[in-house]
Amino acid sequence: MRERSERIDEQSTLSGRAAYRDELTRLAAEDDRIVCLEADLGGRGQPFQKAFPDRFFNVGIAEATMIDMAAGLAAAGYKPFVSTFAPFAALRAAESIKLAMGYHGAGITVVAPYAGVSGGWFGTTHHCLEDVAVLSSMPGITVAAPYGEREMRAVIRRAARTGTPHYVRTGRNAAPESLPWAGDEPPLITWDDAGALPGRVCLVSAGEVGTGLCRAVRRTRPELPHAHLCLIDRHHLGLAAEELARRYDEFVVVEEHRPAGGVASALALLLPGRVVRSVDAGERWPGHGGSHEEVLDELGLNEAAVWRALAARGEPEPLAVAGNES
Amino acid sequence: MTMTVPPPAPVRRGGAALEELRARARAARRMVVDMAASPTGCHLGGSLSVLDILIAALDRRLSAADGTEVVLSKGHAAAGLYAALHVSGILPEDPVPHYGAAHACFTGHPGPAVPGVRFPTGSLGHGVPYALGWALGRRMAGAGGLAIAVAGDGELQEGLVWEACQVAAAQKVGNLIVVVDRNGGQNDGPVAAISPLPGLAERFAAFGFDTCEVDGHDLGALRDVFAPDRADASRPLAVIARTVKGKGLKPVEGKAAAHYVTIDAARAAAWKELIR
Repeated sequence: MRERSERIDEQSTLSGRAAYRDELTRLAAEDDRIVCLEADLGGRGQPFQKAFPDRFFNVGIAEATMIDMAAGLAAAGYKPFVSTFAPFAALRAAESIKLAMGYHGAGITVVAPYAGVSGGWFGTTHHCLEDVAVLSSMPGITVAAPYGEREMRAVIRRAARTGTPHYVRTGRNAAPESLPWAGDEPPLITWDDAGALPGRVCLVSAGEVGTGLCRAVRRTRPELPHAHLCLIDRHHLGLAAEELARRYDEFVVVEEHRPAGGVASALALLLPGRVVRSVDAGERWPGHGGSHEEVLDELGLNEAAVWRALAARGEPEPLAVAGNES
Repeated sequence: MTMTVPPPAPVRRGGAALEELRARARAARRMVVDMAASPTGCHLGGSLSVLDILIAALDRRLSAADGTEVVLSKGHAAAGLYAALHVSGILPEDPVPHYGAAHACFTGHPGPAVPGVRFPTGSLGHGVPYALGWALGRRMAGAGGLAIAVAGDGELQEGLVWEACQVAAAQKVGNLIVVVDRNGGQNDGPVAAISPLPGLAERFAAFGFDTCEVDGHDLGALRDVFAPDRADASRPLAVIARTVKGKGLKPVEGKAAAHYVTIDAARAAAWKELIR
């Protein structure tokens, strides 16, 4: 019954990038300063393009120019939202982001699908396991890894309202069921801890894969608390760390990113004296094909890896999952 | 040389008189020499080659008051920019005593903390797409005004410049002007010896730009090139400005070694006497 209802939810919710386009189109109806730029990876049927052709620009395959142009548009009074795949935004255009969004503080929002290895069989050129490290090292940029349609919409509203630099990583077509939270914006930490017990290892997640794995673990062990983070730049992680430390002493952080520069490494620095373990995508290059999940398995980022990390802190593994090691 | 479109008939906008612009250029050149005599020295050759372009472009920005923006894409000529901003009345503070100094905003490449500077430049290539975005924004708003990006010829080796030119032509951003300070030199020697740029105007024309060539030290000619508002233009304009590295300072004019210079106060005083 539970599986059936979740399947229905997944069909009725939007993927991160679809939610972005829809929310931005909705916001643009009220705010004529919003402009939308794509670097030829927006696909046909972009709703913003249909609704506001005069404020939509497909600049072609020109990522650095897109960011720099957006800086010029921001200086001229506009709120530019730009989008291309995460590897091309965060790595190819990294210097443009550093100068325009970091140093200059231009109010540009970069929405970056295909983060992590969500491109699956597209291969290493289209994967990005390094973007959080790159973006988090640039002060002044809000880095978000929303989970589910509702968080993505809230992040886009936040970016449009504040007019400050945002980098928003999302996957390809995954459309996970949103976590519940009250209000217009997700809290610093969305606690997924119904039935959780004090004194246990706390799961910490960011993004679609990390959060999905933590939720899967909690279906077996609801006594384990789970803290989901949406905003993961250094500033917001610093605030989140204070709240985490008030409640728990041991943490297992799950994220679709390399260990260097990810959420776990930041929390380890922010939580001296506490135990922070990382379940991440490791340091191998994802050079083989397969679905998103199969590439994650190859990299060792799966539910079994989370259970092993928990076992190392004294939380017993369930037998059925323990055999599923990659 | 194929001239795709000659510059339209100048539309005078009531800018400064030519003699006033020449006086500004002389004063700015002396300031640049003083900055070369700072503890850090400065990019002397390129600052002097680009100075007249900046003086004329900033006069366009000031006199038209139509939202025209000037972006020094070859940000290493910061000394020239600071001097030009000061003599044009945009930068009230004299940058000379503070150039390169601790706690001062007058770094060796310009940043947005400097009054009159909107974008950070110095890492080459970025100024052209910054200006493109500004021009597009003005056009979208129906507000008029140009975006004048001033690039070096060596800078054109950066792919980002051509990426931006491709987009500018595709989007028909006719109020964008890319001025090339064609001084023929770059950090390690002559452009022609390192990565030459034959048929430069034709290259821009092939990208879909209007093009023109001009003496980059002829303030009157530069003023005329910048005068039209280009409100109805659908093709961006490339201006190939022929310049001389170290222009106005006979001991260094045309010399590759003038790219970056540190001198003492006595030499600065002597060199300033040569500026007429």
